[in-house]
Amino acid sequence: MAKPILRKPKKKQNPLKSAKVTYIDYKDTTLLRKFISDRGKIRARRVTGVSVQEQRQIASAIKNAREMALLPYTSTTR
Amino acid sequence: MRHYELMIILDPDLEERTVPPSLDRYLSLVTNDGGTIDSVDVWGRRRMAYEIQKKAEGIYAVIDLHAEPATVKELDRQLTLNESVLRTKVIRPDAR
Repeated sequence: MAKPILRKPKKKQNPLKSAKVTYIDYKDTTLLRKFISDRGKIRARRVTGVSVQEQRQIASAIKNAREMALLPYTSTTR
Repeated sequence: MRHYELMIILDPDLEERTVPPSLDRYLSLVTNDGGTIDSVDVWGRRRMAYEIQKKAEGIYAVIDLHAEPATVKELDRQLTLNESVLRTKVIRPDAR
């Protein structure tokens, strides 16, 4: 019987730390665009690799940016 | 006194050079009540991610100010009454 190979998930680099961001601003759309998919959805934390607190701040910043039409609610690319 | 950040989207049909004087008219409300305007940044015409009131573009302006909560509430109310203001947003940057 072959044992299933346990693979340790690779720890992701925190993208905020590498960009040296301390305050997540809803006006900084170039930063926030890294955390949304090409359809405009917010990426999950297991994809982005940020901490819980940062993910919350990112999510609320994206929602604020959407209200001010800086980011799309949906983008129909297909 | 609290630090606020106010973002306004204005009608793109306005002349861009008439924007700062017309903003000042509203912002005098803050200075009259003892608040201070720290910076006024007019981004200019910018394409919006989706249409607001059938308009694809908007003139964005970001204002940093210190004021009492009631003053900001009144300022926001008066701005939304203006037809040429498409949308406003008040944020407290340090409340997080």
